[in-house]
Amino acid sequence: MKKILKSGLIAGIVLSVVSYGGLYLTINFFPSLFVEYNNPLFNSDGSRDVLFYMHAFIISFALSWFWERFKSLFHGPFLLRGLEFGSVYALVALLPVMWITFSSLDITVLIVLSWFLYGLFQAVLAGIIFAKINP
Amino acid sequence: MKRFLYQLLIIATLFAGNAVAQTSTWVITNGCWLKVDGSTNINIFSCAIANYSKPDTIVINRNFTPVQLSGSMQLDVQNFDCHNPVMTADLRKTLKSKQFPRLIIRFQTLNNYPDHAHRQGIIKGYVTIELAGVSKRYEVDYKVVAAEATYINLEGSRKVNFSDFNLEPPRKLGGMIRTNNELSVVFNLRIKVI
Repeated sequence: MKKILKSGLIAGIVLSVVSYGGLYLTINFFPSLFVEYNNPLFNSDGSRDVLFYMHAFIISFALSWFWERFKSLFHGPFLLRGLEFGSVYALVALLPVMWITFSSLDITVLIVLSWFLYGLFQAVLAGIIFAKINP
Repeated sequence: MKRFLYQLLIIATLFAGNAVAQTSTWVITNGCWLKVDGSTNINIFSCAIANYSKPDTIVINRNFTPVQLSGSMQLDVQNFDCHNPVMTADLRKTLKSKQFPRLIIRFQTLNNYPDHAHRQGIIKGYVTIELAGVSKRYEVDYKVVAAEATYINLEGSRKVNFSDFNLEPPRKLGGMIRTNNELSVVFNLRIKVI
């Protein structure tokens, strides 16, 4: 349990910096990609900002538990283990969720694709961290 | 005494006649529009209510300086079009269109009566804008686009803030995408003078 919490916390901190930092830079350098977010589907009053910024820790603790449970199935150097772990998560969890999201909400393919790649990147990064600190 | 009262009555009648002569009525005709320009940290937007077609009237009293106006223009917030369906829906939500469906401009004063003499210049005037249940008084710059004996085309412009009407500028993704507080409002009035 301690391993799960420690790994989750470290991954959460790293993901927060990389994910939100990356998002901030992408918005500044490629603003046109984000015009679609001016959409009433997205919360706009700031009431859920805390939840938004907690996401990195939510996914990190969830993946940390998943890693602890199934890490024996991933073999090879830590980078490869992280990549495979992230890919499994993206295939099993992200892809079906993105599928149902696109089919039911009025959002573009570009948005859904960016969410998928963002989630895949987060999971691979978390997997690499777990493979390194909790092999 | 009787003669004095008689003279007073004549003078009062003359003044009253003058006052009546200085009052006229404007009819807001088809083809009026209102445009709102704003920006976010990723783009700019321009939303308009085109072809306003309610024949409202404005009563003008030129006996006073500034010229006194009485009348209003009532626009449906649902008619805003930002030329992008999602942005249109977002603006309507921000302006609380379901709760407060009308944007009302109440005309109050004009520094000068708009005529040919003022075609190149700016006429200032006061209006009250009611939006999202909040009324705010503003000084507006009017440009006289056209002015004839029976027809006037005025363009009013003013910068306002979302916060003036207790509205929160939209912010998305934890505040990474932010709409700026300031909006530029321009409205065009096509008026028939009666």
